Amino acid sequence: MKSNKLNLTDEIKPKVDGFNNKVLQPIKSWFSKYISKKIFIVIKKTFFDIYSLKKLIITIIFLLFVPTIFIFLPTGVDFGLISTHHAATIISIAILFPAFFFTLGIFFALMIGFSGSSLIAEEVKSGTMLILVSKPISRIKIFLGKYIAVIFYGMLISFISIFTLGWIGVLMKSANIDHFISLLPFLTALYFYSLFILFLFTSITMALSSIFKKPRTVSITVFILVIFSFIAFFLIRIFIGQFYGIYQIYHFDLGYHLGNVFVLFIETLNAIPPSAAWQMLFGQLTGVYSLTSTIDPDQGINLGGLEKTNYYLPIFSLLIWVLIAALLLFFGIWSLKKREISI
Amino acid sequence: MIQKNLKINYEVWSERLTKIYGKGKEALEAVSKIDLRVKPGVHGFLGPNGAGKTTTYNMLVGAISISEGKAKIRGKKAGSVAAKQVIGFLPQDPVFYEDMTGEDYLIYMGQLGGLKSKEAKRKAQELLDYFDLFDARNREISKYSSGMKQKIGIAAALIHDPKVLILDEPTANLDPLGRADVIKKIRDLSDKVSVFVSSHILSEIEQMCEDVTMINHGKIVISDSIKNIKKSYVSNLYILDTDMNEKFLEMLKNIDFISKVRIEEIDGKIHIIPKDQDKLRELIPQMLIKNKATLYSFHQPELSLQDIFMEIMAKKEDIKK
Repeated sequence: MKSNKLNLTDEIKPKVDGFNNKVLQPIKSWFSKYISKKIFIVIKKTFFDIYSLKKLIITIIFLLFVPTIFIFLPTGVDFGLISTHHAATIISIAILFPAFFFTLGIFFALMIGFSGSSLIAEEVKSGTMLILVSKPISRIKIFLGKYIAVIFYGMLISFISIFTLGWIGVLMKSANIDHFISLLPFLTALYFYSLFILFLFTSITMALSSIFKKPRTVSITVFILVIFSFIAFFLIRIFIGQFYGIYQIYHFDLGYHLGNVFVLFIETLNAIPPSAAWQMLFGQLTGVYSLTSTIDPDQGINLGGLEKTNYYLPIFSLLIWVLIAALLLFFGIWSLKKREISI
Repeated sequence: MIQKNLKINYEVWSERLTKIYGKGKEALEAVSKIDLRVKPGVHGFLGPNGAGKTTTYNMLVGAISISEGKAKIRGKKAGSVAAKQVIGFLPQDPVFYEDMTGEDYLIYMGQLGGLKSKEAKRKAQELLDYFDLFDARNREISKYSSGMKQKIGIAAALIHDPKVLILDEPTANLDPLGRADVIKKIRDLSDKVSVFVSSHILSEIEQMCEDVTMINHGKIVISDSIKNIKKSYVSNLYILDTDMNEKFLEMLKNIDFISKVRIEEIDGKIHIIPKDQDKLRELIPQMLIKNKATLYSFHQPELSLQDIFMEIMAKKEDIKK
């Protein structure tokens, strides 16, 4: 190996493709501008920077800790005497609240915030970004590579957490595989909701990481946002609920919108039947449900659930926050593009 | 059209390249309207600390924006991906992913440069070998010495086969042996790539470069070949050494076209600064013949780049005052 001769004559020639027609060319140029092999190199590097088995296990334990306590709470139901569907509903309701507030709420959002906060800000601060931006890769690809790595990491974490949580629920309550299968629509709804949270909080975190100099500032900002979303507005609803509707505070209440989207996924996948048993608590905490029963206007029959406050249609909440997340993603890219990188 | 061709012929070209930090009254012009003309070969970029070298480099590699003017690397707009494809950059005090091994780091840099995985690995090993780091290839960069880090930095700059190597103070923080090693490597590399290298240690630049650009307070002070610069800055100091220096000293003291004459304590030779150099060159042979003295040497000492730089800077400061 010790030749000590250096061959620098190899040229990196662009690949010439025979399909140079008017339709394929714009697609190809767009593809090469935003998505190329280099982006996967950044994704791979970033993913393994934020991933370690030890970290993964600790994170999952953290995410599952609170829901597991809820699963342990006695239901007073003999699972051998009720239908599979009914048993799955009881397990779902036991998991629902802690899953929304902790597993896919406070803890998950913070996990994304802490994982993503350093990806741009830390690299700029330490000086490694200076070498990175001097390489023949656009800043858009650097940003997207890091962004997608966080998304993949979050998808992995939420997948493991949600399905492990389902198993824990089944094992603690009934240990019956049929109950787990019946639980799948609910777990799938949770997973789709986790993707929404992941998209939103990754966009927030990465946009902040592109602006702020210190990773700690990013983490603190995400932390404050999470606390406001899940705790502060909840306290407002509890203690000064009369002002909540009057002053239309729900416009700014991320917790309400998240609850609305959560319910949208639950309803769309028919994951849990509407019932005051879970809607009452959920409504008080998120503001999605009022405390009035849904009564059929013609028949006068209680339809088995509470009325929605309907400040926003759930689909609107979803679209608004998907749009905000997309705007934040573009803002993050733009910020990194404009950012002065020097040591 | 001629102008365009010229831009392409230069490895690095800039016109009125300017960097302004801040706005309004607090605006600071770190680099002011500089015209760079870097030809193939090794080109030195000199200047004291804070002169604007690093800011210029950062603009050329696209790390910071250009406030005014323009710059091209081999005819490609500075900061564009196309321009970055032809440059390899080593920043001042480079920072690495310390938890990566030397080989993994180079492979990563190579892949970002557009190499395929296998090709990147082959290139990485070739460079590790060239920079005598092959045995340390599986060691984490955090465990590398300063010299090794500097070499891995140059290797990372080289891995995607750039045509222009931009090195910002590559010998900073190195011991004398490490410096000599890096300088030798840069000189060897100059057969294959053009090098635009900065340093505030002028003797190093003199060893490496054919051409230099001197910068101070964000402005170019001089840009030419070292040979030309030395020619244009010939000193009016003459050094005379004979077997009767004391006697000659007394005689020269009485000559009206000599402004200063003395025997230098260090070398024992007569140092003469004449008002009229031609007259001095005529006088000395006559004196030697008349006194039957033996001549050991009579010459003008060549100024080092350091001397010239100091002289230029001193002149500029005088003009400012």
